[in-house]
Amino acid sequence: MPSPSPSPEAGSAGIRKIIYYQEETFLENGQEPAVPAVRAAAAAVLANPWAGSGPSADLAAGSAGVAPQLARVLSDRLIGGLGGAESIEAFGKAAIVGTAGEIEHGAALIHTPYFGNLVREFLEGSSILCFADDRAEAGQPLVIPMWHKTAAATRSHYQTITTRIGDGPRADEIVIAAAASTGPRPHPRIGDRSTDPTVTSAVLEGATA
Amino acid sequence: MITPRKIYTIVEETLLEGGRPVEPAARVALVAAVIPNPWHGQGFVEDLNPGIDETASAIGELLAPRVVEALGTTVEAYGKAAIVGLEGEIEHGSALIHTLKFGDHFRKAAYATTLLPAVEKRGPAGIVFDIPLKHITDATIRSHHQSIEVRLADAPHPGEIVIALAAAAQGRPQQRLAPLSTEQ
Repeated sequence: MPSPSPSPEAGSAGIRKIIYYQEETFLENGQEPAVPAVRAAAAAVLANPWAGSGPSADLAAGSAGVAPQLARVLSDRLIGGLGGAESIEAFGKAAIVGTAGEIEHGAALIHTPYFGNLVREFLEGSSILCFADDRAEAGQPLVIPMWHKTAAATRSHYQTITTRIGDGPRADEIVIAAAASTGPRPHPRIGDRSTDPTVTSAVLEGATA
Repeated sequence: MITPRKIYTIVEETLLEGGRPVEPAARVALVAAVIPNPWHGQGFVEDLNPGIDETASAIGELLAPRVVEALGTTVEAYGKAAIVGLEGEIEHGSALIHTLKFGDHFRKAAYATTLLPAVEKRGPAGIVFDIPLKHITDATIRSHHQSIEVRLADAPHPGEIVIALAAAAQGRPQQRLAPLSTEQ
């Protein structure tokens, strides 16, 4: 169960609110999962560090200054809620930029080593973090993709979690999120690369449109 | 006891409000279970008591310790919710939460004495709802009137009900209204 305590870093990153959202699945299609997984997302809404700047503004300094604190704060919530980094098997990340910002502003906070490398380190993974981004009004639900933290092609671990912040992002804010899961989908049964037959466009021969 | 399909846990921390720091950060927690509607598919059931007896206490007992744990500190305000899937009656949700058998678990876990403020609503999966919260021992304490906005992805399905409890560690961030007594 999550019981995260406020982080001293949070205030200095301009974070207004942090939402931890967790789902435990006990039944899927009426049956208990063989490997029950808990999925969670931690999302922070903060002032857009580049609000009001032009399309050629240099984003490097803001990225280096803010992204590491976001990585710490969001990873702490996931680790606290899911029972430690060792319990986490899959992860992902996301950004929603408020309507007065650029998509590039969200990218600057999640797609640099100042965020991704640290989340990977804190959650003890090695894969690239898969992601989603959007520009939207406050309250937009955010679907965050996840895959396996050390073996991204592990098909059983392709999954998502959907969360939202009701009053964020305001036009001059950004929502940044990290997500994690302690296991696979409830009933994974679509094989894996090792069990797949060779499939080419030949399977369509003779098919009608 | 009915097995929930999912249990949701949400913790909301507010660090800034009105542009000013909130210290310590304001915390509100919510735990929700999505369960089968005990009366789904049975037409109009006149007597809801057997279903209440089977379900209400057990679901209260399941949720109460979880929401106190999720908050991680003393509960000062609280509330509850029943969100009925589209094939149910709002009365079905009310049946499960508007009974002492349900609420007493939360009152005991939170050392509370007042009635729990509630929202009852019917809607599709992913509907947004607000849970009102009031002070746990004196519902007239104005600083603690607040609400938490919630959206649970994938719940409730048409034949299900979401039952939720919410707890706050404090009143509203930057609360500064005069007490009710000053107007009397």
